[in-house]
Amino acid sequence: MSTAAETTTGRNLDIKVKHLTRVEGHGNIVVDMKNGVLARAELEIVEAPRYFEAMLQGRSFHEAAIITSRICGICSLGHQITSLKTTEEALGLEVSEQTVLLRKLLIHGATMQSNVLHAYFLAVPDFLKQGSVFPLIGSHPEVVMRALRMKRLANDIGDVISGRAVHPITPVPGGFTRIPTVAELEDLKRQLLDQMMPDLLATVETLKGLAAAIPVFERETEYISLRSDDDYALYDGDICSTDTGRVPDREYRRMTNEYIVPHSTSKHAKVSRSSYMVGALARWNNNHDRLCDLALTAAGALGLKPGCTNPYMNTIAQVVETAHCAVDAVAIIDRLLGAGLKDEKPNQEPTRFGTGVGATEVPRGILYHEYTYDRQARVVKANAIIPTGQNLANIDDDMKKLVPEIIDKSKAEITLHLEMLVRAYDPCISCSVHMLDVEFIE
Amino acid sequence: MRILAVGNSFYGDDGVGTAVLDRIRATGLLPDAEIFDAHSDPLALIDEFDPEGLNVVVDAADMGLEPGTAVVFRPEEVALKIRSDRLSLHGFDLAAVFDLARGLGRLPARLVVVGVQPAAMDPDQGLSAAVTAAVPRVISLIQAEVRKDGTEDDPRHR
Repeated sequence: MSTAAETTTGRNLDIKVKHLTRVEGHGNIVVDMKNGVLARAELEIVEAPRYFEAMLQGRSFHEAAIITSRICGICSLGHQITSLKTTEEALGLEVSEQTVLLRKLLIHGATMQSNVLHAYFLAVPDFLKQGSVFPLIGSHPEVVMRALRMKRLANDIGDVISGRAVHPITPVPGGFTRIPTVAELEDLKRQLLDQMMPDLLATVETLKGLAAAIPVFERETEYISLRSDDDYALYDGDICSTDTGRVPDREYRRMTNEYIVPHSTSKHAKVSRSSYMVGALARWNNNHDRLCDLALTAAGALGLKPGCTNPYMNTIAQVVETAHCAVDAVAIIDRLLGAGLKDEKPNQEPTRFGTGVGATEVPRGILYHEYTYDRQARVVKANAIIPTGQNLANIDDDMKKLVPEIIDKSKAEITLHLEMLVRAYDPCISCSVHMLDVEFIE
Repeated sequence: MRILAVGNSFYGDDGVGTAVLDRIRATGLLPDAEIFDAHSDPLALIDEFDPEGLNVVVDAADMGLEPGTAVVFRPEEVALKIRSDRLSLHGFDLAAVFDLARGLGRLPARLVVVGVQPAAMDPDQGLSAAVTAAVPRVISLIQAEVRKDGTEDDPRHR
């Protein structure tokens, strides 16, 4: 909801968007310019902090993923998979190739679900100059139905593989408590081919028609994502920076460097510069060479080029990788069926007790978990670094460059550009304000 | 008939819907009910409504009442009754989901909401004493709705 406190008078500007809509959680946009000098341009994060790290202490390794998957209702699968990988690393639990493939399938479903929701329900209304998705129900009902259909199919992947799409239940440390049936996987494959593919092509057509509404704004920054030699890295890989190259995920602390700022209950992060970007655009910039042909065709049609420095294009990068996820999901199902589904039991016999780090690409960017376990396999220390927190400094830096560039526009237009900018990052503020406890205690 | 819960059971009293479903399962009450837990994805409700039958949505809702108070209302009253609800999957609260479903012609004719006033919505497990005590009352309210639904002489009803 935008509230205009003052009108623009030349180079004086006072913008305060309280509780920005169409983002998850509560954030305010604050801009204060006096006599052409920008005093503030930032995203205030006002949500109350949460204490998941503290909640993890003393819990058994069976519980860690269950608790962390509750950090967020949107990002539960990403937290859960990351948590499982972290626990397995700390306890020396090997997992099978089938487990890895099923998890990759789950991540594809969650990525598609989140990206579709963001592109259609949160970003497209901006491109059509609507305050929400609701006017589209009357004017473009087929687009809304398509979005819901795509989201539903993405949810179905979660339901089939993990028991349920939100707060999944069958993925556990060491594997799965239930393996999907051949019929279930064949049905998913059929729906991906018969329904998701045409819907994806239609999505590209819809967005092609809206491309002119995407603001032109360039700011080169550091782009950080996972990178793998084998595939478009979502499930695992090295940490890769456009500035500094690749390092193993255990070095995540020096690739995040969290710090506290006064205007945010979520920590900020930086590496080589004052800020960096994570998420679909960072993945695109680092890993476009790993995308399938359909995704590359979509990127070409939508004007997304390697080395893109326009943060508003994050939404387009999300759509492009959604195409990749759908194609790769079919390929994974073929591999699983080709190898024959094995009724494996989870490997839950620890071979060591120590510290593990897990890094996964969740829809909004790299998610890190780190746990230390005692000899009873109970958590003694936990840390989680959330993508939205990593993007906050980058959003502030974007705003500081953007506001002077569009200062000749009306206050309402400037406000809309800023709101669209924040929404382009698809921020999950609920997730990002999950911890201040460590600093308070020390 | 279908009973649908929304809310995050790791957010204190926001888990009341899940708790109601758990109790229905455990006690065998309402044996004819199909149950669905949307957890924190209220948009999923649109796909899960029973277009023909009675639908009851159970949700923790700040209505400015005493903690544990359970109130039955119709979907068009949601925006009036609920001051805020925790579920905010990108701003899709219950009122927005009902609006969307209505606009798409997928809001079932027979739909009621049972709102439960929370005492605390903090990231922690477990319900407050007031909301725990409300769970059997919610089930009684659902049973009353089922009875009403069966006898009501309403052209929308089969």
